[in-house]
Amino acid sequence: MDKILEVKNLKVSFRTQGGTVKAVRDISFDLERGKTLAIVGESGSGKSVTSKAILGILAGNSIIEGGEILYDGKDLLSITEDEMYKIRGDKISMIFQDPLSSLNPIVKIGRQITEAMLLKNKANRKEARNEFNSLLKILKSNMIAAQGSGSEAEITEMVKTFDGFATLSTKLEMPYNDAMANAEEIKASVEDLLFMVEKKQNPDVREKLTDYVLMLQKVQNEFIEDEHAAKLTELLDKCKKEKDSYPKKAQENVTLSASLEKLLNDTVKLMDDIINQPRPNFFRIGYYKLKGKDCSIKGKGVEKLNEEALAFLNDNFMNHFLELEDNGIRYSFENALENKKKLLPKLEGAKKYYEGSFTKAEAKSYAKTLADLVPASIDQLEINKDSVAYTFRTSLNKAIDKYFSAQKTNPKEEARFAKQSAKREKLIAKGKNVDWKVVPKSVYDLDELKNNIIHVVTRLEDKYKAEIAAAENFDVEARGIEIVDFFKAKASQVVYKVTKAMAKEKAIKLMEEVGIHEPRRRYNQYPFEFSGGMRQRIVIAIALAANPDILICDEPTTALDVTIQAQILELINQLKVERNLSVIFITHDLGVVANMADEIAVMYAGKIVEYGTAQDIFYDPRHPYTWALLSSMPDLDTSDKLDAIPGTPPNMIYPPVGDAFADRNKYAMKIDFEKQPPMFKISDTHMAATWLLHPNAPKVEIPKIITDRIARMKQKSAGGEI
Amino acid sequence: MEDKNQEVLLRVENLCQYFGPTKAVDGVSFDIKKGEVFGLVGESGCGKTTTGRSIIKIYDITSGNIYFENQRICAGTGSYKLAIENAKAEAKKAVKELDEDSKKNPSNADANNKKKAEIKANLDKTIAENKAQIKSAVFDHKNCDKEYSKKLVAEVNERYKKAMAEAGNDSAKLAELKKKYKDELRVAKNTRLITKIQMIFQDPIASLNPRMTVREIIAEGLVINGIRDKEFIDEKVYEILEMVGLVREHAGRYPHEFSGGQRQRIGIARSVIMRPDLLIADEPISALDVSIQAQVINLLNDLREKLGLTILFIAHDLSVVKYFSDRIGVMYFGNMVELASSDELFAHPLHPYTRSLLSAIPLPDPDAEKNRVRITYNPIAEHDYTVDKPSMREVVPGHFVYCNDAEEARYREELGK
Repeated sequence: MDKILEVKNLKVSFRTQGGTVKAVRDISFDLERGKTLAIVGESGSGKSVTSKAILGILAGNSIIEGGEILYDGKDLLSITEDEMYKIRGDKISMIFQDPLSSLNPIVKIGRQITEAMLLKNKANRKEARNEFNSLLKILKSNMIAAQGSGSEAEITEMVKTFDGFATLSTKLEMPYNDAMANAEEIKASVEDLLFMVEKKQNPDVREKLTDYVLMLQKVQNEFIEDEHAAKLTELLDKCKKEKDSYPKKAQENVTLSASLEKLLNDTVKLMDDIINQPRPNFFRIGYYKLKGKDCSIKGKGVEKLNEEALAFLNDNFMNHFLELEDNGIRYSFENALENKKKLLPKLEGAKKYYEGSFTKAEAKSYAKTLADLVPASIDQLEINKDSVAYTFRTSLNKAIDKYFSAQKTNPKEEARFAKQSAKREKLIAKGKNVDWKVVPKSVYDLDELKNNIIHVVTRLEDKYKAEIAAAENFDVEARGIEIVDFFKAKASQVVYKVTKAMAKEKAIKLMEEVGIHEPRRRYNQYPFEFSGGMRQRIVIAIALAANPDILICDEPTTALDVTIQAQILELINQLKVERNLSVIFITHDLGVVANMADEIAVMYAGKIVEYGTAQDIFYDPRHPYTWALLSSMPDLDTSDKLDAIPGTPPNMIYPPVGDAFADRNKYAMKIDFEKQPPMFKISDTHMAATWLLHPNAPKVEIPKIITDRIARMKQKSAGGEI
Repeated sequence: MEDKNQEVLLRVENLCQYFGPTKAVDGVSFDIKKGEVFGLVGESGCGKTTTGRSIIKIYDITSGNIYFENQRICAGTGSYKLAIENAKAEAKKAVKELDEDSKKNPSNADANNKKKAEIKANLDKTIAENKAQIKSAVFDHKNCDKEYSKKLVAEVNERYKKAMAEAGNDSAKLAELKKKYKDELRVAKNTRLITKIQMIFQDPIASLNPRMTVREIIAEGLVINGIRDKEFIDEKVYEILEMVGLVREHAGRYPHEFSGGQRQRIGIARSVIMRPDLLIADEPISALDVSIQAQVINLLNDLREKLGLTILFIAHDLSVVKYFSDRIGVMYFGNMVELASSDELFAHPLHPYTRSLLSAIPLPDPDAEKNRVRITYNPIAEHDYTVDKPSMREVVPGHFVYCNDAEEARYREELGK
């Protein structure tokens, strides 16, 4: 199973005037690639806080008391804001609850969609360059190590060549990309002109044509196919002539002459052809050119050139390079594997060490020596960074810090609690009316914290054991191709410049994708001109603009009515499949998630009380809170009195000592008020935190309203009728 | 099924509410019977909230009539004005034709003049009729409250005349009676018919004044009505607070100190204290959490039994509407497209829009959800109303659908199967 995001023991509090509100209290969950995780709970249960913590957009008065959020080899809670900036929006994106307040009312929606694309592009190009260089460096050192020191000169030369033609290819690619961008820009602009004339908006035709002449000149490029290039020159001449026949100022009731209309339509067609012509493979051509070959496409065509260049590249360079590269990869992998095997007994030792007693300095220095060994055991040539090993050092240090800080604060907290309780009792004994409560003591369980330290080590150990077991199946060639693809992708990212027109075209495509009709017209409208459902679609388009891996939907349909809600849910589901998104779906309405979610986490008072697949939660709910949620919503066959959940969620300044739901729970037992229930495992996929699952607990029946409904649902699906 | 002879509490006839060129509500008619919950559903912007607000006279309606307890409380003049305009235009056209005819054939001039006079007389008659209607509509619209309070004042007068006569010469008793009489008279004078209809609003945060205490908010209606007895007011407020599941101590607090569900309870208390006959609940649960929604629905159900309320329940959550309402009206773009008892509507939805609406309801059943097919509604493709014009028709007793002849026949056939 491929986990894309892991949240471990996350705790978030907020400082307020009334005291510290414990919004999220120790939650853990995993998000798998391409799956949907739904987080369900009442307002104030901490679901939005969790999602904001993932994106690093918590309010200023928040304190992250502990935990980790692992994504792509990084702990999102401990990286710098600069690093977070690269992830936020690009890799992890969010759809907010209220589309009206998440859009800027005085900016046209087109600009709002393209804003992020234009803003982030520059930073991405720089980043791509760095990634390219650093991976190449690692590859080089591994290749040398694999071949022995004698080959150093040869390999250095080869890597230099590789870098050389990859860079050269980007130099060729850049003007080509510019030309393509201009072609798109012209196409968009001409379509705009035609649209404006049709809608009688009286454009300044002469000015537009002058622009086209300039832009058409920029489209000319050595890699445009011959036939297109010829037409291009022809168009350019016509354009120059045509523009003189139009007056210098914008006029009323502009009509286009037949010849101009034909010219414009021809332009659109030609630009379409140019945009869709086969793309020269600059990676190959770069080498071709580096070796001084003639790489013009005159009389040859792009495809032929591509083939020639490929043959030349393979024969003279690539085959040999790949061979060496494979050796390097194998060397790196085996080296890492060897180190992993060596590390295992050390980890075992670390577990023993941390079970014993130690001072903070000792623990830290032990952790340092241990963590220093870990990087050697990581295969640096892996493209998908594995989170556990990369974040081992920070995780371990955090766990140790937490342990020692708890050792310090626990006695203080005990003293405070004792003092306040004594004061309160004294006042009550005097017969005074006491209207304040004592904040329950929040002391840490030291044993548990110690276990956490050990757990960090165990996590890595388990991971490495699994990897060592799977080492036989390692596919060197697949990895080699992966790496070359990575280089290619990064090289073209370096030269991928987003212009305004390209961003506009992309935005219009996105708007079409999320189901907005007439996107070209609506591109220039303001948010107030859209209905609620359409606005939410715009917000989704903005979230998708950067092509994220993870999409967080925070109550995306709460403000919408049934039909629109169904449409938006379908849209999110469809986009999820198309783009292989992983979705975190936050809602208070269990009914909505039945067709969305693969897994569901039910949250109450900052904790996950039940976790399971959609099947588990709907057909076999175990926690009384889940029962209450299910039975408080009517479905189409409900006719009895609704089982409302009495009361309101607890005040999280004074989180209850035992099970937080006990006060509102008619099945609550004595222990529920005294001790927090642990997560009981029901099946591999299903867990719930309720004492009712303890072997000694009395047997409790699921409320009739739910069993009836489940029976009804089963009957329906058996009958095949809905 | 429901009783046919049940008394009608509210009758809406051809209600039209235009805002400039926007026809928010366009010819909606329905009855609400005493003691029932009437659900109004439809997507946002279809005019269901506007209908509710028109009934309680927040807007002046464009045309149509609304009767409450057989008394016309709202009347629009738009239709009469339109009738006058149309008649004038028609007459003008006819006269013009006659004039042209006279020019061509001078021999017909006399006959034509006679016809012209006839047309003019007819026109005058129509105008006079419609103007009378307008006058009566405007009068009712403005004065229904006055008439109601007049009636109440007369009642009070009569009662106290009797009581005073009985009291005879007992001056102490007489003075007390006089004081009471004065108070009651003031209340009677201030009472309006429209206070018998009360409304609960969608957003419990926005609809409560943050600078008033809960006591002030709830008692505001009584105070406006002219009741000055503080003890009486407090008692009433406490009684209502307990009725809606809050406690006495809450009376002195401000709205921001309450949770969403409690705020909605305050909103309900404010509307119920006037002892209304009809309660308009405009999406009272949409802004609440699912668990709190059930509390509010249960509360409304209790109050309905206790106070004998009739409720117009406006919502877009169909499962809740189905659970709570006796009859349901489905609205689409300012029109009522289907009206039936809730069981009938969900068992046999006829209008394609209703079907699409029902197919969009999310169910708490993952297996069924995976296979759910949503029906989309496209009015242009669905209906051909070029020749055969649609209207509201009773397909089976109690089940009305907006359709034309061909569709009606088809629906009947479907139901027959």
